[in-house]
Amino acid sequence: MSNESSPSTVVEPEEIIPELPRLNLGLTIAICCSGFVLPGLAHILLGRWIRGAMLALAIGLMFLFGLGMQGELYGSDLSQTPLRLFGFFADAGVGLMYWLAEHSNLGAGNMSARTYDYGTTYLWVCGLLNYLAILDAFDIAQGRKP
Amino acid sequence: MNLSHFDALAVFALFVSTVFGLITKRTPREQFRYGVFVFFSFLCVAVVVGWLMYPLPW
Repeated sequence: MSNESSPSTVVEPEEIIPELPRLNLGLTIAICCSGFVLPGLAHILLGRWIRGAMLALAIGLMFLFGLGMQGELYGSDLSQTPLRLFGFFADAGVGLMYWLAEHSNLGAGNMSARTYDYGTTYLWVCGLLNYLAILDAFDIAQGRKP
Repeated sequence: MNLSHFDALAVFALFVSTVFGLITKRTPREQFRYGVFVFFSFLCVAVVVGWLMYPLPW
C-alpha cells in the first residue's frame, strides 16, 4: 500500500484589493453638482488634478468648437417637440457654459452654414460627455474607482 | 470656423477619445493606449462606412 498522500490543495492567497476612500453621499452629490456646473471641477475637487484639467480642456474646447461652427443650442421650452427636448438635455450637460452661451445668444445657430450640423452635434456630445464625467466622479467619490 | 468634413470628424474623434480614455481606464498608460485606439477606430470606421455608402445612388 503506497503511502501516497492526497494531493494537497494549494490555496492561493486572495488578491488584496486596497480599500479606496469613500465620501459620504451628501458630499459626493455636492461634488457631482460642481462637476455639472463646471466640467472637470468634480475630479479636481477629488484630487484628480490632471484628469480634471484634461476633462475641462476637452469638453470646454469641444463646446467652443461647436459654437464656432455655428451650431445650435436648444432652449428649455417645454412646448417644443420631444426630439428637441432630448437636444436640450444633451446641451445642458455642460452646465454653466450652456447658460452663459444661451444668455449671450451665442448658440442661435446658422442653418445655412456648412458646419451647422457638425457644430450642433459637437454641442450635444460635449454635454453628454460631461454627464459621463460626472458619473465617473461619483464612482471615484464612492470608492469604486481609484 | 470652416472645417472640412474630415477635419470636423478628426477633431470630434480627438475630443471624444480623450474623454473616453480618461474615464474608462485607470492608469495613465492604459488611458493613453485606449484613447489612441478609440481615436483611430473613429477614423477607420468613418472611412469604411464612407466607402460602403459611396456606390449608393441616393
